[in-house]
Amino acid sequence: MMMSGGIRYYDVRHVTGQTTHIDIDNSVIESAGTSFFSTAVLRVLGPSGWGILTIDNYTSPRGKEFDSLLESAASLARITTEPVNLADAPHGVLPVPAMREDPREVSLEEKTGVLGEIESAARLPGIVNSRATYIERAEQVSFIDSSANEYSFEICRSGFNIMAVASREGMVQMGYERLHSIHGLNIRHQQELGRLAGVRALSLLDAKTAAGGTMDAILDPELAGVFAHEAVGHASEGDLVHEGNSVLSGKIGERIGNSLITIVDDPSLQEFGFDPVDAEGVKVGRTKIIDQGIVGAYLHNRETLASVGNGVPGHARAMPGEAPLVRMSNTFIEEGDSSLDEMLEGIHNGIILYGSRGGQVDPGRGVFQFNAEYGFIIEHGEKKGMVRDVSLSGEILSTLHSIEMCGKERKMSQGYCGKGGQSVPVSDGAPYIMLRNAVVGGSGTE
Amino acid sequence: MGHPISCSGTRWWAAVAPNEDYMPEDIASLIDTIISTGETLAEEVEVFIAGGESVSAELKRTKIGIAAGSYAVGLGIRTIDHGHIGASGTSDPSAWRKCLDAAISSGTLATPQEWGGLPLSSVREQPLLSFDPEVWVKAEIAEAAIYQMLTGAEEYPVNVTSGSADISTGYLSLANSHGVRYSTKKSSFSVSLEAISDQSTGYEFDQSVRMSVDPVNVGKMAAFFAHHGRSGEDIPTGDYSLVLSPMAFAQLLGSVFVPAVNGRSVHAGRSKLANSLGEVVADTSISIFDDPFRNYGPGSTCWDAEGVPTRRIDIVRDGVLTEFLYDLKTGYRYGKSSTGSALRSGYGGSPGIGYHNLVFDGPRSGIRDEPAIYVHDVVGAHTANPMSGDFSVEISNPSWIENGDFGKPVRKAMYAGNVFDLLKNIEGLGHGERVIGSMVLPEVRLSGQRIIGV
Repeated sequence: MMMSGGIRYYDVRHVTGQTTHIDIDNSVIESAGTSFFSTAVLRVLGPSGWGILTIDNYTSPRGKEFDSLLESAASLARITTEPVNLADAPHGVLPVPAMREDPREVSLEEKTGVLGEIESAARLPGIVNSRATYIERAEQVSFIDSSANEYSFEICRSGFNIMAVASREGMVQMGYERLHSIHGLNIRHQQELGRLAGVRALSLLDAKTAAGGTMDAILDPELAGVFAHEAVGHASEGDLVHEGNSVLSGKIGERIGNSLITIVDDPSLQEFGFDPVDAEGVKVGRTKIIDQGIVGAYLHNRETLASVGNGVPGHARAMPGEAPLVRMSNTFIEEGDSSLDEMLEGIHNGIILYGSRGGQVDPGRGVFQFNAEYGFIIEHGEKKGMVRDVSLSGEILSTLHSIEMCGKERKMSQGYCGKGGQSVPVSDGAPYIMLRNAVVGGSGTE
Repeated sequence: MGHPISCSGTRWWAAVAPNEDYMPEDIASLIDTIISTGETLAEEVEVFIAGGESVSAELKRTKIGIAAGSYAVGLGIRTIDHGHIGASGTSDPSAWRKCLDAAISSGTLATPQEWGGLPLSSVREQPLLSFDPEVWVKAEIAEAAIYQMLTGAEEYPVNVTSGSADISTGYLSLANSHGVRYSTKKSSFSVSLEAISDQSTGYEFDQSVRMSVDPVNVGKMAAFFAHHGRSGEDIPTGDYSLVLSPMAFAQLLGSVFVPAVNGRSVHAGRSKLANSLGEVVADTSISIFDDPFRNYGPGSTCWDAEGVPTRRIDIVRDGVLTEFLYDLKTGYRYGKSSTGSALRSGYGGSPGIGYHNLVFDGPRSGIRDEPAIYVHDVVGAHTANPMSGDFSVEISNPSWIENGDFGKPVRKAMYAGNVFDLLKNIEGLGHGERVIGSMVLPEVRLSGQRIIGV
């Protein structure tokens, strides 16, 4: 269908909502309140590429007023030269799971009180600062396109972070826990996580800096999830493959890892990265990026499916007021059949690492980095002294070969992923995994 | 978690907008209405309105795939009543009443603060320090910059993967119930390009308040780094001399040093520098200061986000830690004066503490003359530990430099260290400087830094 002005396609994604936050710092309620937003993105596909308009406080105009917005976007598209085509893709919306307790129905005062209990639980003797933050974001999303696809849904994400800081003789260390959910208010009865943050900060005061070098490593489920996200997930994103900026380009069907490794991205999974439908109205589902060590599929939107192929659409995601990009959602390594004891037994000299403050990847170069919060040296299969601030780096095309064991139980952790200036909610997960000859970064020399 | 290579802060600040009359009458009258209504509900009221327009062009390989424009607007309201500070924001200024009510009810929950009042109107001269009327938000200008970058990239046999040109202008208005009525305009032009050759990637960017970016050079340098990094050699783990580019150094400083001099972190027990005022925290040749009056500085302003007049803040002078950064709330609580360091990252919520233009300075010398490993950028700076200062990151485009020029590339190297320690181990600063975000810094030479090779 060709519309006026050479417009081949358009869509509008309008998001309205409210954000509630609470910040309790050393028992002082620093702030607690709600802000409101309404923003829309109008995308027009002209004769070549996209013209995109972001409009704050969008009023869903009809008739001539809407036509004039279409014309503005089409006029932007005139400078584009790339021939963009959209692949057909199945449409459809999943139901958003019902919340156990809708956070919006609990008063800000009550939520502040409950959060305060987590914050005070972190204040153990020796802790110099504890800070708890609560964030709740409710979005009403409506989508319409020129092919008469239309959907709307509402989703509310909420959760908390708790940080504890311990200090001694000029040394400052922190412990950090977080829990975020799409299933409703999750801050009740979480004092144990507050206490854990405090215990972690205190024990890190006695941890040593790890010695950098190559060694065997066991990653806990949270860190192994970040590993899957950085080492494989980004490089499988169809836009990077299309740009020639991924080492996984042209590798479909090739073995890049041990056959016990399967890595999946699944926005339909009811975890923190859940989307009932993607940002282009496409049905969401499970994509096996790595299937028993072999590159199985790329993550796509309609545009990159058309230009690259070899993959699955339904992976377009966007922040409110931003144009959709190809993104991960819930990314994980499938379970294997090893136990943690078996992994430990297999290591003579190595390290076991826990938790993460994130990571980063250069997908074209094929090199990634990710960070562990803490770990323990392993000697002859036994956990010894604690180490802090350890990062790992690796190379995408070889790193999966070094995974020798996968544990039996997968656990998902929540976070946010940044790309192109946009931050979207994701979850990552894995069982425990064991890597041979990992490159561990630390400034210690022993 | 993620891939923040091209993160550029919130779109809000990127999208600061145009407008000939930057305090339009309808905005002025809206502000008066909100303040007079707010004064019936709270002792003090503060109103912040910002809006803007932006345009960008995005490359997919060598063709423009996306041209985008945006119109942004937002209203923030803060109320203070007997020390109860409340705040709210909305993208719909006509819904100001709902926003005002949300601010008031937010204040009732917050713990009452020691509070000495919002500032009176005192800033008389308000030059537009971060604005250039020559910056036009036109798609054709972004388009031209894109093609200039591609021309620059032709200097080396590489493939361009992506790039962008962004132009934005905007206005900010700040008002309070003590008569403050400040307004300003901002402008910004930025370009970036990524290229690849085999498995060697190169990234470069340029930014300015003015039209003075150099797209040809950005294209050329991105292509150079991609081309130069092919066939790198592995190096053994050990201690090396390094030259950090302004881009790499800015990332490490931003992740660790900046939060450590934030007055709130300092008094809350979250800063390693909390007890170091008057002590040597950097090489004695080094000074670090916030210069809010820098001509065409990206963060330049005569008043901060609470209307406090800004001033130069000498954070580190000749290596000695001399001052922390404060906003009003933190200042009143701890018996300090605001340093004019309140900043807003959007219209919602309360302002936080930050810097306007953070300048890193000291004597300059030819720091590339002796051999060292050059660090163009780092991967994973945001995973540094902001409390301890420890970091371990992957180096982008590691390469030997010899006799002032690029020598053999290094294939892969991790860099592990501590930001607080490296400030004391600075051997020299290079000639020239670059603006990275709102930081202004030169290249930095360090010795004895731990590199984990392969």
